[in-house]
Amino acid sequence: MSKVWIIASHEYIVNVRRIGFIFVTLLFPALGVIGLVIGALFGGQATKLLNSQFTPQARQAGIVDHSGFYTPIPAQFASRFIAFPDEATAKAALLSDKIGSFVVIPSDYLATGKITNYTQAGFSNITNDDPNLLRAFLVNGLLAGKVDPAYLARASKPADSTLVTLDSTGKPTTGVGLAIIAGFVAPYFFSIMLFIAVFSSSGYLLRSIADEKETRVIEIVLSSVSPPELLAGKVIGLGALGLTQVTIWLLSSFVLSGGLGAIAAGAVLVLNPGNFLLAALYFLLGYLLFGTIMATAGALGTNPRESQQLAGIFSFAAAIPWFFAGILFTNPNAPIARALSIFPLTAPTTMMLRLPLGGVPAIDIIASLIVLLISIPVVIWAGARIFRVGLLMYGKRASVKEIVSALKSA
Amino acid sequence: MDDLVVQVDQLQKSFNSLVAVDHLTFQVNRGEIFGLLGPNGAGKTTTIRILMDIIKPDAGAARVLGNPPGVARERIGYLPEERGLYRGLRVDETLVYLGELKGMSRATARKRATELLARVELSEWTRNKVQELSRGMQQKVQIIASIIHDPDLVILDEPFQGLDPVNVEVVKDLIRDLRAQGKTIALSAHEMSQVEVLCERILLIDHGKAVLYGALSDIKKQFSPNAIEITPPFSFDGWREVERTETHDHKQLIYLTKGTAPREFLKTALERGLAIDQFEMASMPLEQIFVQVVTEGRTTNDG
Repeated sequence: MSKVWIIASHEYIVNVRRIGFIFVTLLFPALGVIGLVIGALFGGQATKLLNSQFTPQARQAGIVDHSGFYTPIPAQFASRFIAFPDEATAKAALLSDKIGSFVVIPSDYLATGKITNYTQAGFSNITNDDPNLLRAFLVNGLLAGKVDPAYLARASKPADSTLVTLDSTGKPTTGVGLAIIAGFVAPYFFSIMLFIAVFSSSGYLLRSIADEKETRVIEIVLSSVSPPELLAGKVIGLGALGLTQVTIWLLSSFVLSGGLGAIAAGAVLVLNPGNFLLAALYFLLGYLLFGTIMATAGALGTNPRESQQLAGIFSFAAAIPWFFAGILFTNPNAPIARALSIFPLTAPTTMMLRLPLGGVPAIDIIASLIVLLISIPVVIWAGARIFRVGLLMYGKRASVKEIVSALKSA
Repeated sequence: MDDLVVQVDQLQKSFNSLVAVDHLTFQVNRGEIFGLLGPNGAGKTTTIRILMDIIKPDAGAARVLGNPPGVARERIGYLPEERGLYRGLRVDETLVYLGELKGMSRATARKRATELLARVELSEWTRNKVQELSRGMQQKVQIIASIIHDPDLVILDEPFQGLDPVNVEVVKDLIRDLRAQGKTIALSAHEMSQVEVLCERILLIDHGKAVLYGALSDIKKQFSPNAIEITPPFSFDGWREVERTETHDHKQLIYLTKGTAPREFLKTALERGLAIDQFEMASMPLEQIFVQVVTEGRTTNDG
């Protein structure tokens, strides 16, 4: 067995049985189980409680009608709307918290369609509570008694839309929910999981090296293997450890979601194998990049805590794309998204976020892969040199001068 | 087989402005116990790390077991100065893993670990975690880790550091055993008194430079004072053969006047009826030789 594999299997076996690893790995499924149990036992009450937290109390809205179409308020709307003779009275009711908002319908409403909605909180309770309610009220005022009730009802709610997603052969996929899950939710979830795997694996790598340095076992190991062999063995073993953790999380989420997750994951592969393979590729490249950086940080710090502080700078860079998640979701091809895709430290994260959203230009994918394929050997080259210097400096961190001199050495 | 196990020629290594190894040249012969001696910071560990291919030299050449450093890793046993073990791992797991890294099969490494643990009376601790062992026990395990793969050359960097006197003797016995098995041992130490009884040849270095190099007996002879040591002590007032005396631990060190041979002194002492129990030629401790050489700025290099 080659030394790289001996180190890889040693790292895997030793770390997979650590209490800390087992605890974190089982925490995720355990939380899911707890959620299910709570749901089963207190489902009704819990839902009510949640609803009461997130749904604002349905409050009446005022109507100041200068058009004459809407007063008196029809009986079916009386529970939600209350008429006021003028703006001043309505404003007083709003300020004394008797109503949640009020709408002024001007005399030229029929011609302009303009209304004014007054509120105190910045949100109108009329449009927030039920977006169709105001429309139905306005349509009813204009058309009630003038058209067939069926037309009135349809004009109040003109569409009940069904989304059909076609696969590459033009066949509709069964079920709207599954299509959304397979097309966006599952790949997105998968990307996040891979992202977590990259950082949990690199974290283990950092700790493993920092621990070996702190316990002074590193030099004994280095008398048997070269620094690149040590690095390679650890990268493989601890990468496998991170994947094990994520696999357990994924499997548990499939089981807990009653198999829906498994079907969705299968659908990801069938519907978009390209994205799946690209995500796996970005995972591999991201892990190689951050794994090497973390290993170098592990070798440079005088103790695990200091190493983690050093590594934090790079983890922060990798998290930058999340700050722009809002832009990325609304426009996956925004200039900032494209720029982050070709910066080595942000490329894996950005691409993992962009891919599930679809429509990423091929040039962006190629450019980001080229950037990563060029920067990874550079990082490994520099990392191996700094690694060699940092590993043997006990109780003292390598200075910038020493790092530069290590990079210059043959 | 080549009789030169280690060959070092004009080796140089600097760390920024600090010259750690300065044109060092020496050889280690097959089957000997070789001492790389010098005070802390003399360049011993740097030299050893170059031989182990852990750091690269700036200039000069080194060959270990006939190869450049790093090639014959599996035939070398190494106990670094900065040493430790995986604290959370069991003793046997640690030794098997380190043995596997030296190219042993898992089964062979396990068998050999069991034998060596028994040799240093640690059999009952085999399945304990390293952190449960005392410091002395951990050091014994570290030494076992360095020889588990039955290496041809054993390099021990400060092997006695941190050991209590009892364990110093255990380790010395282990080194003598290895020597008896035909292994070559190169060891470093800053406390020269601890190793001068073990080493056949030495290299004394200071500030990266060779200060003394050669067979220990020759060096001792070269720096031997014109003195003898006797037991028990007597008064030598008025003796023209005696320049001065010093008494330590019931032993009397007698410095003879110039031109007086030890044999001549002994003859006179017996004629005068002194009941001498023990008589031996005095030799200068290695540490004293080192101080003398460094102070006088003399360098002797016969290599």
